Amino acid sequence: MLSLLIKKELKEIIGSSKFVYSFAVSALLILITFYVGAKNYQINKSQYDAAVAENIRSMSGVTDWRMINHKIFLPPLPLASLVSGISNDVGRNIGMQGRGELIAKDSKYNEEPIFAVFRFLDLNFLFQIILSLFAILFCYNAVNGEKERGTLRLVFSNAIPRDTFILGKVLGSTIALILPLLVPMLIGFLLLLVLGVPMSFEDWMKLFLIIVTGFLLFSVFINLSVFVSIITKNSATSFLLLLVTWIFFVLVIPKTSVLIAGRAVNVPLIDELNTKKNQFSMQLNREHFNSLSGFKPANKDNFMQEFQQFMEKNNQAREEKTKSFNEKLNRERINRQEVQHAVALNLARISPSASFSLAASSFAGTSLNLVSNYREQADNYQKQFAKFQQEKTGMTSGGGGMMFVIRTDGDKKPPEINPAELPKFEFKPASFSASLGSGLIDIGLLFVFNIIFFAAAYLRFLKFDLR
Amino acid sequence: MNTILNEKKEFPMLEAVNLTKKYEDGLLALDDVNFKVHQGEIYAMLGGNGAGKTTTINIFLNLIEPTSGETKINGIVTHQQPLEAKKHVSFVSENVMLYPEFTALQNLDFFTRLGGKTNLTKDDYRQVLLRVGLQEDAHSKKLKGFSKGMRQKCGIAIAILKNSPTILLDEPTSGLDPKAGLEFMTLLDELRDEGKSILMSTHDIFRAKEIANTIGIMNNGKLVMQRSKAELENADLEKLYVEYMAGYMEEVA
Repeated sequence: MLSLLIKKELKEIIGSSKFVYSFAVSALLILITFYVGAKNYQINKSQYDAAVAENIRSMSGVTDWRMINHKIFLPPLPLASLVSGISNDVGRNIGMQGRGELIAKDSKYNEEPIFAVFRFLDLNFLFQIILSLFAILFCYNAVNGEKERGTLRLVFSNAIPRDTFILGKVLGSTIALILPLLVPMLIGFLLLLVLGVPMSFEDWMKLFLIIVTGFLLFSVFINLSVFVSIITKNSATSFLLLLVTWIFFVLVIPKTSVLIAGRAVNVPLIDELNTKKNQFSMQLNREHFNSLSGFKPANKDNFMQEFQQFMEKNNQAREEKTKSFNEKLNRERINRQEVQHAVALNLARISPSASFSLAASSFAGTSLNLVSNYREQADNYQKQFAKFQQEKTGMTSGGGGMMFVIRTDGDKKPPEINPAELPKFEFKPASFSASLGSGLIDIGLLFVFNIIFFAAAYLRFLKFDLR
Repeated sequence: MNTILNEKKEFPMLEAVNLTKKYEDGLLALDDVNFKVHQGEIYAMLGGNGAGKTTTINIFLNLIEPTSGETKINGIVTHQQPLEAKKHVSFVSENVMLYPEFTALQNLDFFTRLGGKTNLTKDDYRQVLLRVGLQEDAHSKKLKGFSKGMRQKCGIAIAILKNSPTILLDEPTSGLDPKAGLEFMTLLDELRDEGKSILMSTHDIFRAKEIANTIGIMNNGKLVMQRSKAELENADLEKLYVEYMAGYMEEVA
């Protein structure tokens, strides 16, 4: 009996002209998403390769490792083209020095602000906006529509248990709407391969999880629609109610959560921090200059060398103080920010759409974790780079200190540096297990939303007036 | 498909016993209604809007439960064993809509399987559709393009295919043109001859008199009159109907 009801839903939905048009639009958008994503990846990759090459080229002719203008770059992530998250807002390069604070610059939206106006078409947009509406469009009258048509009376003139009917309704609608969408998704996967997006096994696993999470969101809206079609008397009312709910889930709740968190948790402005950092730096500079008067060379013939060592020692001491002070300020700000993020995200999770968005960006490596991950890896690289500079020159660059370079080779031109010797910066995206860990709570929530709405629909239908 | 029930059942196939329905808002929709429909009989329930005809049918189908009393299908109390009772009944509503995106054959296939008949072929469906008067070229067309008469034919085809011993009809000829109405009545006659017990609610006094073995008139939830065809032979049913509906006359059914 259940299979008969499921098959009927399949036939009814797939055989309708409404489905043909909606599916055609959705399938087209899915394919465009994958195609545009793959093409964007190619563009970003070529820009990245060019930037890396330019970085190396800028070092040609340089003879001193302390004089290089070295940058590290955030490589494009294959999945970021499909779920952009915050990847386009993150600065893609960091000017690297042996010491000093690292600042990421030149985000995609900063460089090409036109893309920030309408943002990119990606899987997040597709599932949150298009497919959730697709689910509503097909299920808003799942039960009250049958009552309006009179088919409900006819169906229940037969020996059909109510629970079997509602189970068949939900399962049939879910299968009917999800199965056909798998076809353009699979073609999209092929597009990634054909267009040469280098997807690792982990990337495929993550993409699979994104799609599964997307369909979980999709089924939340199916269950919700069936529930609303039971509690409302006519299909026009259920459609209106679902649209209002959709607006709240997709637009109002996520944006309001951020606003509330912004009000509730005060995070110091970056300008405030910079002012404090500058004041502290100026204070250290004064101390530093004052300390110059205390310099007394042990051997006057070796004045410059001793002076250089003195300056290096001073610079290092100042760097440690600056670093410690800045780290303290940064840590305080980050702690406040983390509280603010937690408040915003947990409030937003009232909405299944927000849960999906958070899970998908976690799996794609484009969640808020991207910033901390990038910062952490850049910090680690800085240590490597400082060590490299030390080995090559005995000094480290940056940090705002003065540096005296003594040439002891007369007019003889020193050999050029070999940029290939530089330690390589290789950004490692979050591992599959780490991504899964951070997205698990949202997948769990989507399961809970499904269970709640299905249980509500199921229980209400047992008391539904079938007349 | 023309199965004639050979064994005449002694007990009524459809029965309402002290049937009362009072809604939560206090409306008394049915007030102690009693009637019986035996095998091979047609019972016509006449009455105006809100008389309680559809409520009676809804209780037979267990779409609502009675406040007191009971309905029985083939001896089974419907609100106690609804699923078992429904195996013995077919239903045709006033305005058969079916699934508009399905063809006539697909609708028949779905509802016949739902009724428990899983071994029928497309040829069986076609034969029944032809029997009820639906032209062959319409069999594979979607219902959304069908007229009310065509949909009604599909509805009765579904009832025939279920091959249950009882049939409930909720104002089946309402809105049909005279030709379609006549064809429908001829079909009911055939079904009765096959031994089906039919309970039909209708506004159509003349067709009711023509076809029914027993006629009951309902007014404000009460069965105010119940007469056999023989009793009504020389009576002016229209006059009786108007008088009972106006409340001039009342008898205990």
